[in-house]
Amino acid sequence: MNLETFQNSVFPVKNKLFRFAFRLLGNSEEAKDVVQEVFIKVWKGRDQLSEIQNLEAWCMRITKNLSLDRLRQQQRQATDSIEKGFQVQHSDLSPLENIEINESMKRIGDLMAALPEKQRQVMHLRDIEGYSYNEICEILEIDMSQVKVNLFRARNAVREKLQKIDTYGL
Amino acid sequence: MDSKQIEQLLEKYWSCETSLEEEQQLRDFFRGNTMPESQKDAAELFRFLDIEKSKSLNENFENHVTKHLRKRREGKIISMVSFTNIARIAAGIVVVVVATYFIRQEVRKSYPKELQDTYTDPQMAFEETKKALMMISGSFGKARREAGKMKVFNDAEKKIQSKQDTGKTNI
Repeated sequence: MNLETFQNSVFPVKNKLFRFAFRLLGNSEEAKDVVQEVFIKVWKGRDQLSEIQNLEAWCMRITKNLSLDRLRQQQRQATDSIEKGFQVQHSDLSPLENIEINESMKRIGDLMAALPEKQRQVMHLRDIEGYSYNEICEILEIDMSQVKVNLFRARNAVREKLQKIDTYGL
Repeated sequence: MDSKQIEQLLEKYWSCETSLEEEQQLRDFFRGNTMPESQKDAAELFRFLDIEKSKSLNENFENHVTKHLRKRREGKIISMVSFTNIARIAAGIVVVVVATYFIRQEVRKSYPKELQDTYTDPQMAFEETKKALMMISGSFGKARREAGKMKVFNDAEKKIQSKQDTGKTNI
């Protein structure tokens, strides 16, 4: 495989890899480093790429493993707000409405970051990246029932917390 | 899609029974700005998921990685990689051989002289062993003869003892 073919087949998934690494690490610089590491790893093993059925899922799996290795090495939790430094601007909304939206996005980001690791991974892959249950099984190396249980718990934990915030302002 | 259908779809979503297509329908619906109050939570969540999906790396990243990969590829052409591997293995073998030699020397030094081999020819070794055993055997014979003399003393002592005992009974 030459560099051009590699760029055409692997580079398009870079944003998915970045978002997934970011979800796990909570830090964009580290997430970038992980994506670069993934590409180097895939490039090194380019001779075996023809044996891989789903290249994208395989890259996602490497991203997960490298991110978790980093987390273990650093022995810290990815509890930083995933919305840090990320501001959404809607031109058709007033400044007050924009502030409200940003606050609400930060709140949901915090809720998701507080989920147990597996639930966070499954919810990210399904609800943000739109992977099928089978692909999630392949990426996370878990069975279908575990995927469904974790997704159910994750969605409902977020829902309950959002309802509580709305009802009691907590 | 009316709000009742959305309600039903949302219930399916919370129970994880929606397909990817149905989830896309929900995403599309919640992109609109007018939301009923009852669906505010879901609207917030779907807006969040949408924003998250739009996060991306800049183009600079691709250039940076490409440069890096190109460097790696150029590095691979040079056969120094295999040479260094061979040199590493050879150095390892040399270290092991030298270490073994020195350890053997040390072990030999620590052996008592008597335990060291003195003959290389088995016949000669046999003759020398025979000679040594004959010498030990000769020494044993000599010792036995000396022990025989001790027996004469012993017999004499017994005789004297018995004579003294008979004398005592006559008195």
